[in-house]
Amino acid sequence: MSDLLNKIYTGSTTQPGNPKRQKLIKPLPAVSPARLFAVEGAEKAQLPQPLIKTLDDLKRNLQTAVELEHSTIPPYLCALYSIKEGTNTVASTIIRSVVVEEMLHMILAANILNAIGGKPVINQKEFVPTYPGYLPGSDKSFIVGLEKFSKESIDVFLKIEKPSPPLPKFDPEQAADLLFEDPGFQTIGQFYQAIMLGIEYVNENTPGGIFIDDPEVHKRQVTQEHYYGSGGMIVPVYSIENAREAIEEIVGQGEGIDDTIDDSDAKLFGQTTEYAHYFRFNELLMERMYAEDDTPKSGPTGDPIVVDWIAVHNMKANPKVEDYKDQPDLLTKAKEFNQSYTQLLDQIHKACNGEPEQLMKGIALMYKLKYLATELMNIPLGDSGMMAGPTFEYEP
Amino acid sequence: MESKHYDVVIVGSGISGSVIAKTLTNAGKKVLILEAGLQAGIALEGEAAYNVYQDYIRTFYNAPAKVPNSPYPDLKDAPSIDVLQIQKLQPGQVPPPGYLVQKGPLPFASDCMRGPGGTTMHWLGTTLRMLPNDFRMKSVYDQNVDWPISYEHLKPFYEMAELEIGVSGNVQDQHYPGIGPDFFGEDYVYPMRKIPQSYMDGLISKKTDRLKVTVNDKTYQLSCISTPQGRNSVPNTRYAYSKIIWDKTKKKLRLAKADQYNNIPSLWDNYTGERCEGNASCVPICPVQAKYNALKTLKKANKENLEVSTRSVVSRIIIDKKNKRVEGIEYKRYENPGEPEHTNLTAKGTIYVLAASAIENAKILLASDAANTSDQVGRNLMDHLVMLTWGLSKEKVYPYRGPGSTTNIPTFRDGEFRKEHAAWISPIDNWGWSWPVFSPGSDVSAAIANGLFGKALRDHINEVVTRQVLLHFEVEQSPEPENRVTIDPAYKDALGNYKPVIHYSVSDYMLKSFEAAKIVSDQIFEANDIEDHTVYNPVTDPDYVVYKGQGYTFRGAGHIVGTHRMGFTKDDSVVDKDQRCWDHDNLFLAGCGNMPTLGTSNPTLTMTALAFNVAENILKQL
Repeated sequence: MSDLLNKIYTGSTTQPGNPKRQKLIKPLPAVSPARLFAVEGAEKAQLPQPLIKTLDDLKRNLQTAVELEHSTIPPYLCALYSIKEGTNTVASTIIRSVVVEEMLHMILAANILNAIGGKPVINQKEFVPTYPGYLPGSDKSFIVGLEKFSKESIDVFLKIEKPSPPLPKFDPEQAADLLFEDPGFQTIGQFYQAIMLGIEYVNENTPGGIFIDDPEVHKRQVTQEHYYGSGGMIVPVYSIENAREAIEEIVGQGEGIDDTIDDSDAKLFGQTTEYAHYFRFNELLMERMYAEDDTPKSGPTGDPIVVDWIAVHNMKANPKVEDYKDQPDLLTKAKEFNQSYTQLLDQIHKACNGEPEQLMKGIALMYKLKYLATELMNIPLGDSGMMAGPTFEYEP
Repeated sequence: MESKHYDVVIVGSGISGSVIAKTLTNAGKKVLILEAGLQAGIALEGEAAYNVYQDYIRTFYNAPAKVPNSPYPDLKDAPSIDVLQIQKLQPGQVPPPGYLVQKGPLPFASDCMRGPGGTTMHWLGTTLRMLPNDFRMKSVYDQNVDWPISYEHLKPFYEMAELEIGVSGNVQDQHYPGIGPDFFGEDYVYPMRKIPQSYMDGLISKKTDRLKVTVNDKTYQLSCISTPQGRNSVPNTRYAYSKIIWDKTKKKLRLAKADQYNNIPSLWDNYTGERCEGNASCVPICPVQAKYNALKTLKKANKENLEVSTRSVVSRIIIDKKNKRVEGIEYKRYENPGEPEHTNLTAKGTIYVLAASAIENAKILLASDAANTSDQVGRNLMDHLVMLTWGLSKEKVYPYRGPGSTTNIPTFRDGEFRKEHAAWISPIDNWGWSWPVFSPGSDVSAAIANGLFGKALRDHINEVVTRQVLLHFEVEQSPEPENRVTIDPAYKDALGNYKPVIHYSVSDYMLKSFEAAKIVSDQIFEANDIEDHTVYNPVTDPDYVVYKGQGYTFRGAGHIVGTHRMGFTKDDSVVDKDQRCWDHDNLFLAGCGNMPTLGTSNPTLTMTALAFNVAENILKQL
């Protein structure tokens, strides 16, 4: 048993492919859940079942993962583009770095889904979340909306990126509760742990495994050739090891830490370390960088960050195209934004469905979205004292 | 105060200095770099690097004339050349403004950047290798001089340079005149795939590739090929190297194998600059740092072994009269770049490297009365002489899509004609008429003067700017002893250092090329239905020349070369084939100044290859 414990509770401290990024997450179990929870003398039939136990379950949850990753992007972009040009450079840099990593996570989730014969769906109306709303697959404990950069919106971002609670002292009963029976997830990390366990389980119980070794399927992977600028590594998924690496990348970048955020005394920070989204947002909220000797418990005590909470376009929260109907020019622009956004989703859909080179074409659209969003945020919304903003609605 | 002793003291943090510093520090040697520019510019990480670069970009946006040095600080205590200030010195008159003292007869119209990262901050990024015959001009064509090293000698160092810079290109496209199958190694690929050629290049190539042109009674078939460039694109999965390492046992530098090539993003974060975005402002500044600059190399140095002293302007090297070895480098450390107050300091090391640009290197040597047994220090100043031709295309070609230049015509880079006139390369430029006539600003001013405004003005600009075609003939200049850098106590800068005095002219071997190139240009314009609008103005163009009754204007390419040439003996050259001074065995020179001839390649790639060669030679000697 101690070997297994070691496998769960230890591991290298950096992520494969990027020695600078700490692998702050708990290493995912390297063995199948059946064996993990094998208690001496117990019958296999008595063992707890994972939440995700069929290939269809798995595909459905991975599609949710793609949706989940995407659903964080419009809120982050609204905050980013609401920052007035030339101000808040640190805040902009931090939010931008998170956005591009969320895009990476979305593609990584799609890669896993493709590797097991699924087909990511990205260009449908249902794919686009309604704001304000809950994150796909979440336990509905908080609402996410399209809002300008503010302490309140950063606070929501912190909730999105909140780390998982720590693994309890090894106890099969408790672990089973935590990992297998929770309907809806408190954190994104928990969700991916359930997916990883599901992958292990279904792969082990499927003759020949679930990773399809076929050049036609391999061609559906988005590789380093097509994807870049994410800070992290794109991982093409051909095997269970690749899937694990991809999930570690996602969870590691997102929330990061193998402990509760308030209690850990681990020294995690420093100039050359790329730390998780949660802590980057926390730096903004605290208006201070983490210093090398800081711990999650100490909070950031390093150099102050100048955050100008006023130098922000006063974008109306959760705008809809409907709100603009009395201002025809604004309406046209907002629709143009939505058309470009929908077009971009369509390109990403194609890229994740056998035409990875389509991603390259998305670059121009991403710039167009940025310019249009900035224009929208400069247009007053009637006499309300508020400004318009992008609505991120599906508009084919 | 006793100063610290280093293994190597390097003057300048441009590409040569950075390559040498990186290679030596990673091989465990202690290195000091003396950099004349400001401390802010040396920031290599995070917010500091971001902020200083954003400052450069803002300065560029606000500059009325977008000349190559426009984003970067011009310091009174370490002045940079300003290409807008190249008026000739008139006898008996107060010297006109500008760092260079232009004695003429023609003004020298090129600049370099004096500050952290050097001229790679504003370079275009073209990374063509020189051709085998460029190294043996005397033996093959009875012109110029031969190099003491061959293309084959430099080839492994070219491969290192292409890794270091991160070259994007397609080796299959690289057909140049006069090269054999061994020019690139078998199966050689660049680290990254080629930058997509611009829309305009596609249109021009359609009617220019394979076009037959006649010049001086001979017919040539033109070709249009993609240009390798030092800016990020898609990594080539077949490229198998990641770094350059010092092999202690074999006493050689070599490429180290790796699973994949990772391109180098911006200094400030990993989220920016992994691909060229086609912003088209490569010169003077790439807004996302997808274009290579030397600070990316310096960032890879072993920081434990490296010190960089900024605000440190070198004035003189000290030489032991008896053994002729360099004993130290004197420099002036200013506090405020606008004030003359400074501290005099001396840096000491086992070996010294001057990598401060061709002009500064020559100036420092002359001021120190060093390395000059051959009387070649400062002589043979060269540049590519850029003759531009411009016209309006019938079809809209849409310049400014993509980086500065993605295609070139290599046909006249080598051939028998070099016995008669200089070779040239023709990049197809992607910047409309901005260079010769300051488009699109000048188009807007002219239209407004004609009463256009609003939509009519926009429509007019859309009609005109989108049809602007610029061809570019970069003529190789020969080394000539009277084209030279000198010093004169009458001309000094704010710190009391010498200003470079430039003597410069162009002889018939090059003028004949202007004539030939214009004939070729006419035929290209005709084949492409381009209406020629080229005007060479004898009054307003500083470098206006006449050949056989016909006027031509050339411009500077920013390729400052040749002022401390390498050669075969201590009587014909300043450095030997190892780039060590003949006169001082612990003084190496680095940079374009070592090049005996220029060829038709933009010189940065060759300079980088030479810098790796210098680094190897220093490691052998230490």
